[in-house]
Amino acid sequence: MMLAYLPYAVAAWVFLWGLYGIVTSKNLVHQVVCVAILQTSTYVLLLAIGYKVGGTAPVFADIPVGTSVVDPLVQALMLTDIVVEAAVMALLLSMVVKANELAGTVDPEELRFLMG
Amino acid sequence: MTTALIPLPIAIPLIVAAFLAFAGKGIGRRACDLLAIATAAANLWMTAIILHGTWSQPQVYWFGNWWPRSGGVALGISFVVDTFGAALALLVAVLTLAGLIFSWKIFEDTENHFQPLMLIFMAAMCGFSYTGDLFNLFVFFELMSVSAFALCGLKTLEPAPLQGAFNFAIVNTVGAFMIVMGIGMLYARTGALNFAQVGRSLGTHADALVLLAFLLIVVGYLAKAAIVPFHFWLADAHAVAPSPVCVLFSGVMVELGIYAVARIYWTIFAGSLAGHAHELRMIFTIMASITAVVGAVMCYAEHHLKRLLAFSTIAHSGLMLVGVGLLSPGALAGFVLYVLSHGVIKGGLFLCAGIVLHRFQKIGEDHLHGCGRGMWYTAALFILGAWGLAGAPPFATLLGEHFVSHSAEAVHLHWLVYIFIFAEVLTSAAVLRMAFRIFFGWGQPAPSDKSSQIEEKPETEQSHERTPAAMFLPAAALILLGIVLTFLPQIQSRAIDSAHGFANQNAYAQSVLENVQITSAHNAETENLSSSIVHSVIALLLAVLLALSTVFRDKLGRAVNFTRSLELGSSWLRRAHSGHPGDYVAWMSFGTAIVGLAFLWWLH
Repeated sequence: MMLAYLPYAVAAWVFLWGLYGIVTSKNLVHQVVCVAILQTSTYVLLLAIGYKVGGTAPVFADIPVGTSVVDPLVQALMLTDIVVEAAVMALLLSMVVKANELAGTVDPEELRFLMG
Repeated sequence: MTTALIPLPIAIPLIVAAFLAFAGKGIGRRACDLLAIATAAANLWMTAIILHGTWSQPQVYWFGNWWPRSGGVALGISFVVDTFGAALALLVAVLTLAGLIFSWKIFEDTENHFQPLMLIFMAAMCGFSYTGDLFNLFVFFELMSVSAFALCGLKTLEPAPLQGAFNFAIVNTVGAFMIVMGIGMLYARTGALNFAQVGRSLGTHADALVLLAFLLIVVGYLAKAAIVPFHFWLADAHAVAPSPVCVLFSGVMVELGIYAVARIYWTIFAGSLAGHAHELRMIFTIMASITAVVGAVMCYAEHHLKRLLAFSTIAHSGLMLVGVGLLSPGALAGFVLYVLSHGVIKGGLFLCAGIVLHRFQKIGEDHLHGCGRGMWYTAALFILGAWGLAGAPPFATLLGEHFVSHSAEAVHLHWLVYIFIFAEVLTSAAVLRMAFRIFFGWGQPAPSDKSSQIEEKPETEQSHERTPAAMFLPAAALILLGIVLTFLPQIQSRAIDSAHGFANQNAYAQSVLENVQITSAHNAETENLSSSIVHSVIALLLAVLLALSTVFRDKLGRAVNFTRSLELGSSWLRRAHSGHPGDYVAWMSFGTAIVGLAFLWWLH
């Protein structure tokens, strides 16, 4: 029974480590990767929500009526989530490349032109 | 007829954007401009027709005709357009059109995909205002965010815009993940994503999971809305984004974050959290008041033109959250009027800042001292904008402020009126002070700070001797719209009526799921505005006095020395705005924890 809650605990765990990484990061590339790690926690959560013990893939063409399947909707949500965040990651990394070209640094500490 | 029109304000700009991104180089800069402006104008026309169709009842559009069969559940995806959402989409179209016309003279090449990005941004924001589905709301939120990140960092030849866009992207993406988690939890509990369906399934049931989902979604959207302590990205992003982009950022994107909180509360959580309305009202109004005060104090302490306006947006965003956070239909009516009027006024002011940048290629108040002598028209626009920010008649901000403070008094939160006056006086005085120094050259030059030293490359390359009409006219039109709004026939009663519809969870669910229209007539009486007019005129006078005593500090002697400390700002507040994305996410986690503890303490 307790095992059923494990994925939620993992999601929370990964989420918090992702946050910790973003906050303490000293390198912009590293920081973007931490954002990606934070994002994986949403995958774990969505998978845990849709999973059903003993369920099979929700492809209804060749399974008998009444077979237990996992929730197909969360997979669609996750896929959208992946696509959307791939765009964000690409944009963030391209900004890091530009920042390195212009300012010659990838340390967020040194890349502070706007403050106060 | 209008129902069939509903997906078009999203579909058409996306198609045109794809074409422009593909063929932009081939057809040349001017053709790109014209096509983009024509698309924005078409959106303006369509969103206006859709708005007109929502007067009597919300319009529901089911994609692929997947409407819920009788007694069934909503499986399809729907757009549910009520007067609020339709009005916001119209505001989006107006501001995009103004921004695109303004950009006629800037960005000489088409390399940067400015026009397609603006169109995608517009489509995403229209979809965000129209949708009736939780996950769709998230997708439009992300579409709007990604195009906004790209637009913000458009000037890739300078490091500052990259920093602003990076901070913006990190904070908003963390917020987006919180929203996904919240949506996942709601789906786990109810098995639905349609607002009406989720709300109906939750019923009056509230437990720890529902509260956690509410917390995560609210924090995610409030990060977009720049509510303290989730606001740090805004000043960095607005200071460096191109002026026509700032118009959309400050004018409507930030406000959409607050709109999403209101929409989700009233369609999903109103029933389950009804027993805790009082506590929730306290949490929201306290956050809003802190935001208004911090934004106003920082606004007065800034000397970078756009950054000053950005902090003023934070302060006004706090005032708007008061409208939503009071959780009453009257305050909601005030919220929507405030969003519309503030949107056009702030948009106009950002365009004026763009004109100043175009003419002098400088953006720091200290460098610009006395430069603008003779630019009487632009000076007049700045002063009118400051007038509007003070909420003084004849600007429609007065109406918004009136409805909100009226509802605040009804729930015995009289002190909120002073928060309004405080934020309005400081933000209005900051703009006036800037206008006095730049256009009249009064007093000594402003003290400088780190941000005002940023070198901003001019957005234009042509002669800078005069202000082109393509820049001046959109700015003037936006600020005058702030006055026109006040005199639109029936605007007050329409706002009240639609607010009552917006805040009626049952009626919303029935119109979406059963296609049943409940017409509720609220005979809104003509409001007695006299007390609000007195408040706002006092606010305007105080703002003028404060601006004058700041500018003429040296002549007025010791009595006005406090203006120096006001202008220098609080050093620890400045240090908190460190420009480091890690710090911003730390603040965000801290804020989430505090709001979560407040929920635990008061609601559970």
